[in-house]
Amino acid sequence: MTKRHTRMFFVGGTLLFAAIFLGMTIDSHRQFATLTNADQITPAVSAGKDVWHKGNCINCHTLLGEGAYYAPDLTKITDQRGEPYLTAFLKDPSQFYSEKQHRRLMPNPKLSEEEIAQVIAFLGWVAKIDNQGWPPRPILVSGGTFPGTGEAEGSAAGVAASDSPVALGQELFRSTPPGCASCHSLVAGVNLAGPSLAGLASEAARIIASPEYQGNATTPEEFIRESIVEPSVYLVPGAMYSAAGRSFMPDNYREILEPVQVENLVAYLMTLR
Amino acid sequence: MRYRSQWVAYPYFVVALLLYGLQMVFGLLSAAKYLGPDPLINLMAFDVTKEIHTNLLIVWVLTGFMGATYYVVPEESRTEIYSVKLAYWQLGIWTVNGVVAVVGYLFGWTEGNKLLEQPVPVKLTIVVCMLMFLYNIFMTIRKSGRWTTTEGVLVSGLALAALLYLPALLQFHNYTVSIFYRWWTVHLWVEGVWEMVQAGLLAYLLIRLSGADREMMEKWLYVIVGLVFIAGIIGTAHHYYWVGVPQYWLPIGGFFSALEPLALFGMAMYAYFAMRRSGFAHPNKLAIHWTVGSAVYTAFGAGLLGLAHTWPAVNKWTHGTLITPMHGHSAFFGAYVMIVLAVITYAMPHFAGREDSSRESPMGYWAFWLQLSGMFGMTLAFATAGIAQVYMERIMGVGYLDTQLKLQVHFLMLIGAAIIFTAGVALFIWDFFRAVPIRTAFLDNTSGDASVPVSSVA
Repeated sequence: MTKRHTRMFFVGGTLLFAAIFLGMTIDSHRQFATLTNADQITPAVSAGKDVWHKGNCINCHTLLGEGAYYAPDLTKITDQRGEPYLTAFLKDPSQFYSEKQHRRLMPNPKLSEEEIAQVIAFLGWVAKIDNQGWPPRPILVSGGTFPGTGEAEGSAAGVAASDSPVALGQELFRSTPPGCASCHSLVAGVNLAGPSLAGLASEAARIIASPEYQGNATTPEEFIRESIVEPSVYLVPGAMYSAAGRSFMPDNYREILEPVQVENLVAYLMTLR
Repeated sequence: MRYRSQWVAYPYFVVALLLYGLQMVFGLLSAAKYLGPDPLINLMAFDVTKEIHTNLLIVWVLTGFMGATYYVVPEESRTEIYSVKLAYWQLGIWTVNGVVAVVGYLFGWTEGNKLLEQPVPVKLTIVVCMLMFLYNIFMTIRKSGRWTTTEGVLVSGLALAALLYLPALLQFHNYTVSIFYRWWTVHLWVEGVWEMVQAGLLAYLLIRLSGADREMMEKWLYVIVGLVFIAGIIGTAHHYYWVGVPQYWLPIGGFFSALEPLALFGMAMYAYFAMRRSGFAHPNKLAIHWTVGSAVYTAFGAGLLGLAHTWPAVNKWTHGTLITPMHGHSAFFGAYVMIVLAVITYAMPHFAGREDSSRESPMGYWAFWLQLSGMFGMTLAFATAGIAQVYMERIMGVGYLDTQLKLQVHFLMLIGAAIIFTAGVALFIWDFFRAVPIRTAFLDNTSGDASVPVSSVA
């Protein structure tokens, strides 16, 4: 083997594999439109992409797993948080997280109402990209389960322990969608994007009896059902949970969930006393 | 130093080392923010310090590459640089451009595109500087009519780096497509053409330091850069797995990514066998340390730690966690920081105008070992934090913020190791200016006819 042979190995190998790479690139271009739902890139999505770049968001967050590692991944954030929540969050993140508790905080991005709507539209488009099913399980901003800290343990997400309504409801609670567990913890005092659901059944009875309650529920079951399908009827106090009489909890569970699924959730949540 | 115009590398190395020092400041700031809380959040938040930290790295390493090329090419082509004046102008524009970019970042002037944050005017100026540089080098080689494989690989690497910067200037409507082409610059730089630069400089240093047979060294140099491209071009795929590309990128990309370490292990063996022959006899002991160190640490940081998370079934869980900076820090340090510091160390006695090329000082050894152990500690800190993060956040489903709180002890380790590393960097810079003070260096070398060889010592 002489230098001439190894030079041929270098030049030939490089050209051959560059050609294969270009071929794969051309084929990918044929598929990008379908994989990324390019027809849904509206002017708002495009403008949102510019907001994303202008805010230098990627140098703290990751998106599609790319970026810096200092702040949560936002690939599927619009599946986990509704638009009212994200809007209120982007107006003033310090209302939602405390630097004292988490040791880091997002600085106020100082966006206009329009820019906020655009960047949420952009993130909504990103969440629908067909990216080989990544992440393999939801990446939560905060909360989740530490074994041994008093939260319900046992079956893994996606597998119900039995077909009793309580077991099915518990499994549903941890699944995405609806993704209840990504906003509600079951530990007293651990408030995530939504309030803790620890002792919910007893809490529901107390709320119904209180003069602040204006809804139609007369039993804890009815209250929990109402809170799932019409979250704005009773608003838990706090600027991080609602604005202008509207709860940040998504209000489309009536459409997403089958009636029997709602009943299973109610059955499960009624066990939290 | 055989040719007077090789001297132009000295100011390039000065700029590179000063920016290296500045990079440490922003690295330490970023690490402190991981620990939190952050008193500077409204002055310069993490996004700004991190962006300046990585951009300074790219700029100073490129400055080092260009300085090293100005040093190597006259010797390889046996001629003076085509235009020393052009080289100075290029350095001036390049440095001012870099300072403008850093100050701009502090005030939020950014494109917010990871590693390619440079605003368009800055990008265009970078292109102009690269063209000035390549013109000067090509004219030098053309003037002499002689070129070696070593400098051919080195200069081709830099020419291709300039070419691959062009996709960074394009704007795409579709975020997935823009990610796709962003990696043409970023991946094909650091896992492609920059490896050519490293391999070229490595070959140059090994030939000088070990007296190994040039024909033999250059024959294997082609094999190494051939392996780099055969695996590395399609290896771009490991950045594509989860961003919205067709499924076939996963198995094909996984296979070629897993082959990428071959070239890097080859490079370590290349250095080992070259040095074994000469028995470390060269008097520039520190240059030998940095040269062999670069080859070995590249195999570890870029090769082994890259392999650790490149396979799709693993990457599915580690993608976007602290596992990535574990690999990034050690790979960049081994492959690019160490090779630039090796060339600088090799050239220092010649800049000082000494007839012998020996270089050995206790401070130089401290600088080497503190940087090496500091970087090893930082790699371990990121690795342990990253592994814990993968298990807690990705597999168990604990929230991001809660997981980060559990990683505090690893961030403390990161800061401790970063302080050791920074001490090593500070000693290196101090040692450099002590061995070759700016004033004496200029007095000795910038006067007189630039075409007269000053010394025959290699």
